[in-house]
Amino acid sequence: MGLARAYLAVYNWVLFAGWSQILYSAVFALYTRGPPAVYEAVEKPLQIWQTAALLEIFNSIVGITSSPVTATLPQISSRVFITWGVLFSFPQVRDHWLVTSLILSWAVTEVIRYSFFGLKEVFGSPPRFLLWLRYTTFYVLYPTGICSEAGLIFVALPFMKETGLYSLRMPNKMNFGFDYYYASILAILAYIPGSPGMYSHMIRQRKKALGAKPKSVKET
Amino acid sequence: MRTERSLRIQVLGRNGKEIFKGGVEVPEEGTFSDLKGAIQRRNKKYYPDRQRITLPHQGQGRSAPIDSSKKLKDYVTTDRPQVIFKDLGPQVSYRSLFLFEYFGPLIIYPIFYFYPQVYTHFGLPKRTFVYPAQTYALYAWCFHYAKRELETLFVHRFSHATSPLANVYRNCIYYWAFAGFIGYSLNHPNYNPVGETQLYVGIVISIVSQLSNFYCHIILRNLRKSEGKHSHHIPHGFLFNSVTCANYTTEIMQWLGFNVATQTLAGYLFIASGTYIMTVWAVQKHSRLVKMFDGQDGRGKYPQRYVILPPFV
Repeated sequence: MGLARAYLAVYNWVLFAGWSQILYSAVFALYTRGPPAVYEAVEKPLQIWQTAALLEIFNSIVGITSSPVTATLPQISSRVFITWGVLFSFPQVRDHWLVTSLILSWAVTEVIRYSFFGLKEVFGSPPRFLLWLRYTTFYVLYPTGICSEAGLIFVALPFMKETGLYSLRMPNKMNFGFDYYYASILAILAYIPGSPGMYSHMIRQRKKALGAKPKSVKET
Repeated sequence: MRTERSLRIQVLGRNGKEIFKGGVEVPEEGTFSDLKGAIQRRNKKYYPDRQRITLPHQGQGRSAPIDSSKKLKDYVTTDRPQVIFKDLGPQVSYRSLFLFEYFGPLIIYPIFYFYPQVYTHFGLPKRTFVYPAQTYALYAWCFHYAKRELETLFVHRFSHATSPLANVYRNCIYYWAFAGFIGYSLNHPNYNPVGETQLYVGIVISIVSQLSNFYCHIILRNLRKSEGKHSHHIPHGFLFNSVTCANYTTEIMQWLGFNVATQTLAGYLFIASGTYIMTVWAVQKHSRLVKMFDGQDGRGKYPQRYVILPPFV
């Protein structure tokens, strides 16, 4: 048990540091050079720390954390898909303003989330203020993050069609055809049922963490 | 005026808290079915199929729910009549679930065969030729799912009447998405068929397996006298003498024949996932039967058998 906790503590603090750097670089680039400069300023750390988050899927499958795989898998897969399958693969979308909203939504969320879990692993419980942030900021940051993700896939669609990247054509021996353009359209459509699910998961978690809303006391 | 003696049963949630204040009243000779009816009268959203009633202090593991026809007084303690209640959520009948989930493949797959415009709409070439393998695949696919529909209506004897509503979404996505994926791949204008020998070997395997699978289902049906009874028996006869879940085995062989004949990645992914799921079920069923038929109290001893895929498991 001690080893798992140490591993999680290290994991959360390292990722907190990584995302703090991303947040700092993003805000600095935004302030000094404007939105189109954001991606370039964060590209390398984003790729490293977003990909590292794949460990969280492993953690939930093995049971080191109590998060259900049904929550971690879609969230992290979509993040990794955007990072590598959209931003890395299609440079044409990197200066879009949605990249700014995406990076800011992700970075603020992750800085809060990793410091929350980092403190929880080390001290047993996080400060009340951080608990509140963790279970309240999602009300805004989930919609902005989700819209940025789906929006960026949409912006990249014409470039996917044009280049035919990652697509496999038939005929071939295994009679398998894969079109990245149409698969990405399906991915955008998956956000429609997926988002309410993720949002209500967080609302449920909030109730458990902060307690149900206190009933207002009536005068008479 | 004769008053029937009644029993007041305390209904607790799994957290130990009382759900219906003051308990629920049932006739002294009442059954679990009467209890479920009484609970429903307290809260009409809890129709009986949605209720899972077990006894407290069952020890390790999941306690099995008790047959509805059994009398309460034979199971609850007289000094403290208590049951544990769980709401299983909205339910749908197993029969309806199966009929619905198997219907999608019967519609979706043929669309790709009969309407090649689906392909040209997305810029793919016009289909100039239909291979024998593609025609075989259409018939085999539709026969398979039509057989499943008819078996659901006339053969299958379900041990549980209902299934949670969420399974409708999960199962339909599974079957319907694979139907689209396989239908798309097999009827593609650039479909590349295998050689004749391989095609015929696959066809023969699939036909023999489909017929065997049907016979296995008939055997399973005859094991159970009627529906709703949670009765379990040692399967025997035909392939069941060597394999506990011979019905799953023949199902897997059927798809193997289909894939040998048609060779699509989509088809192989389908058989791989189906085999995995069925193996999990088969291992559970086999363990349950081995545990139940332990040779004590005249129950019979479960014979040494393969679980699902001889010679591996």
